[in-house]
Amino acid sequence: MSEDIHALSGAYAVDALDEIERARFERHLAGCPVCQAEVQSLVAAANELSVLTEVGPPASLRAKVLAEIATVRPLPPLAAPQEQPADEGVTSTPPATAPAPTPSLPAPAAAEPRVERGDELADRRRSRSARGFARGWRLVVAAATVAVLAIGGFTVWRQVEKDPQQAIADQVLAAPDAMRFGKRLQDGSTATVVRSTSLQKAVLITSGMSQPPSGKVFQLWLEDATGHMASAGLMPAGGDQVVVLAGDATHSKAAGVTVEPPGGSDQPTSAPVALIPFA
Amino acid sequence: MDPMSRFSVVPSGDESPEGPARPVQLEQLLHRAATGDETAFADLYDAVSSRLFGLVRRVVRDPAQSEEVTQEVFLEIWRHSARFDPSKGAAMSWMLTIAHRKAVDRVRSAEAARNRDEGYGASNQDVTHDSTAEAVVERLDAERVHRALETLTPVQRQALELAYLSGYTHTEVATMLDLPLGTAKTRIRDGLIRLRDTLGVTL
Repeated sequence: MSEDIHALSGAYAVDALDEIERARFERHLAGCPVCQAEVQSLVAAANELSVLTEVGPPASLRAKVLAEIATVRPLPPLAAPQEQPADEGVTSTPPATAPAPTPSLPAPAAAEPRVERGDELADRRRSRSARGFARGWRLVVAAATVAVLAIGGFTVWRQVEKDPQQAIADQVLAAPDAMRFGKRLQDGSTATVVRSTSLQKAVLITSGMSQPPSGKVFQLWLEDATGHMASAGLMPAGGDQVVVLAGDATHSKAAGVTVEPPGGSDQPTSAPVALIPFA
Repeated sequence: MDPMSRFSVVPSGDESPEGPARPVQLEQLLHRAATGDETAFADLYDAVSSRLFGLVRRVVRDPAQSEEVTQEVFLEIWRHSARFDPSKGAAMSWMLTIAHRKAVDRVRSAEAARNRDEGYGASNQDVTHDSTAEAVVERLDAERVHRALETLTPVQRQALELAYLSGYTHTEVATMLDLPLGTAKTRIRDGLIRLRDTLGVTL
């Protein structure tokens, strides 16, 4: 896989990675201060180019923008050290949401919030894994660990120890048989599912996805050939996610996202906001 | 008059590309916006809208969609104003980054890409002369960037322009410039490093 993932820093700084490469690079970035510093400086340099394209917007845009912001409350600052969801059943805390302001803060700000988010995700997953460590799943973890060990050093190994979910996501994204299925959602954002049948897992990648209505959560589903939807876990807060779908995705024919009450439901209770067929 | 005001006019010796007083001012406006200050946000809009809209317009091409994206960008800036971290870069760069990502995301969606492709050949060349900036300072900024771009190799420059100003992925850039796959990302990175060093970009 990554002969030299550092070499992607420039393409990342100008948003020239596709969403899968972007997700992989951001994982790397979270743990690589050298890349963080480089990306930060390259982003600043790239943004200088915008003096060449300066054009005033139509006058009507100002009024639209100002009218719109008047109806929206700015998000509170991110609590500096960490803000863990106090209680994982109730995932509806809107502020904890959207840690990376935009996926945007490509370099500058994305790195740290992402780390926090990873941990948060990991916590949630850990508790899930406690109740049913499916066999295929464990195999994937093992595969991930070995692969990472073979490539990298001690640091990477520790990351694997810390967060098997991230390792699984990385494995799936880099798997030779990985297939990707993309979809533009109603809110204009994009969602991509990458599935590796050899690893039996699918990963959902969202970019700029809106948040669920207040007091609700997004739940993930895998649809089998008979049309049955099996829960694949809850979506962590934040519009830019790389989430491993819980369950065996080998024979699934689609992945779905629905709006559900906190804690999720056994069966979807609303029409999917996203349904991404594996075909 | 506020006795402090004379200190806030021009931060000393600041040769920043954005012009002397602007960076600090933008940070302050963002800071005030974070508290829900709509007036501050209106001032911020006036200060940066042509930079943000111009970039979005360059990437997205379609005027109506560019407007839509720019509106989303400003909403995003408003919502996340409290999360801007000055230690990670300048306010202008933070906002441009949001604008660029949103523009790129939009243009990569299938329909938008189709519209844009039709116009690609014709507008590929206009990178260097479509600045409508009026202020002298802005002209000087543009000249400075042009000069810096001239220090890049032609391939570096083209790769960077296709990626940043036209929103193509490095894979697409490789195809368009007939480069072996792995090299487009290297050209982009080398070009950016040279641009950064020539412009003396500091954080």
